[in-house]
Amino acid sequence: MRCELACSYMQTGTFQPARSVIRVSPFEAHTSYAPYTCTQCAEAWCMTACPVEAISISPVGAKVVLDDLCVGCKLCTIACPFGTIFYKPETRKAFKCDLCGGSPACVGACPTAAIEYVEAETADWLGTFAAERSARHREWQFAGVEAR
Amino acid sequence: MAKRHVIVGGGTAGLNAILAIREHDRGASEISLVSAERPYSRMVLPYYLGRGIAEAHVFTLSPARLAQLNVRTHLGRRAVGLDTAAGKLSLDDGTVVEYDDLLIATGSSAVRPAVPGADGPGVHSFWTLEQARGVVAGIREGTHVVLVGAGFIAFTILNAILALKARLTIVEIAPRILPRMIDETGAQMVEEWLGRHGVEIRAGATLTAIEETQGRRRLRFREGEDLVAGLVIMATGIRPNLEWLNGSGVRVNRGVLVDDHLRSSVENVYAAGDVAEGRDLVTGEPAVHAIEPTAMEHGRVVGANMAGRDVAYRGSLLMNIVEVCHLDIASFGAWDDPAAEAFAAVRPERFAYRKLLWQGDRLTGAMILGRADDIWTTNDVGMLKGLTQAGNGLGPWKAHLARNPFDVKTAFIASGTTGRLLPETLLGRASVPAGFVG
Repeated sequence: MRCELACSYMQTGTFQPARSVIRVSPFEAHTSYAPYTCTQCAEAWCMTACPVEAISISPVGAKVVLDDLCVGCKLCTIACPFGTIFYKPETRKAFKCDLCGGSPACVGACPTAAIEYVEAETADWLGTFAAERSARHREWQFAGVEAR
Repeated sequence: MAKRHVIVGGGTAGLNAILAIREHDRGASEISLVSAERPYSRMVLPYYLGRGIAEAHVFTLSPARLAQLNVRTHLGRRAVGLDTAAGKLSLDDGTVVEYDDLLIATGSSAVRPAVPGADGPGVHSFWTLEQARGVVAGIREGTHVVLVGAGFIAFTILNAILALKARLTIVEIAPRILPRMIDETGAQMVEEWLGRHGVEIRAGATLTAIEETQGRRRLRFREGEDLVAGLVIMATGIRPNLEWLNGSGVRVNRGVLVDDHLRSSVENVYAAGDVAEGRDLVTGEPAVHAIEPTAMEHGRVVGANMAGRDVAYRGSLLMNIVEVCHLDIASFGAWDDPAAEAFAAVRPERFAYRKLLWQGDRLTGAMILGRADDIWTTNDVGMLKGLTQAGNGLGPWKAHLARNPFDVKTAFIASGTTGRLLPETLLGRASVPAGFVG
């Protein structure tokens, strides 16, 4: 969970995994983990939904929230179908992954090199991994194996 | 000759249509905008009321921006007649605007019940900027504000009224609050939450008259005591602005009926937003979704089609989110479908509620309630929208969610819903930030 700590520190200045914009999910009864964050999708549901043009594209291609324009209406949080744009109660603004301006803290913090920062086709890498691990876990359960 | 597009209405639908046209044609066509009001975003009016933003922040298409987008304007003018055979639009000052294609995006207006005194002084609607200004001017610290109607619109201004340190009472004719946004269990939880935050709620109250009494308003009800208010806000519903289409030949039901390209019954006339009756993504039936996201999506699809693209729209997803006193309330899709199979769970210690509705193993509706600072709430809001939007079969994950309706994230990720949603775009190409279009 080091990525969550690094992310929250970078984004909020505090070590609060609950404020991280990369979020790790456990699979296979906590024997596999998968970090999930914004795909910076091309059509950008959050950006087109914003009624005050408070979401833009940064020089590194991240969709970023412009705090001085955001009013905190949360429309982006229901427009984004991926669940990767959040709301910070302290500031009453939307907040999301901005790729740390091109040097994502989560990448550097990951001790197992599970997160890379590379140019790639957008794809659901995580879904395939999670589905496979979950199916395996279900098979173990059916076979009567205590999966711990 | 350059194609002449006419956009009637300067709200979210009209604005997005203009931006989408210009994203495609880079200024090649003629665009005329007819708007009774200077364009602004209704969505942010509650923040203006709460003094979170200045009035200037609400405007969307500034004169400079309109010039950059090369849009001719008829601001302060209303459309009064449409001659679809001749391709001519008449305005209230007698001007006639000719078009090759036209977008009907005239939005909706607030309606008040036929109660004596409901149109009297000190009784406001909160829908347009002008009305918002009236409310802003009428509320002081300690003012007793009575909100008539406990629906979504009322709830969007609740935080602002409390932030102004006004005393707030909400009265609702239905037996409970938010009847068109959440179910009975959810409504009870929200009522309890608001009670803790000093908001008085009177449900099942039928207003019979509003009388003037020494500069204040006395509200009378069929049963129960009168209420005396400094200011009354009628949040009693909206209806689409359709009257000007009488005799135009454009087919109208609850709204302007549109096909999957958002064309009306007249081929070169489109409709978008609160006035349009288009396909509901979940039910497949025609519906008027008078919500901001639908206005945006409709507007973008119409803009692309006006610019010569061939974009079919799958339909709009009914959704609402509102935060009151740091409690998030959201619902998606067919959240109140009595025929659907439903799982629901309450976690009282976290003040959290989830309800998931199903057709087979597809999620067709969802409801979520939880504290705004709870990581569960923030995780699940967007993913429940995604699952309802994708409508993909969730297979074994349905049983997982039946056991734990709060473990939405795991089900979302492992069911491959991200992969399902990635190609499901509106216009099928990358968007550009609004400021970069021109």
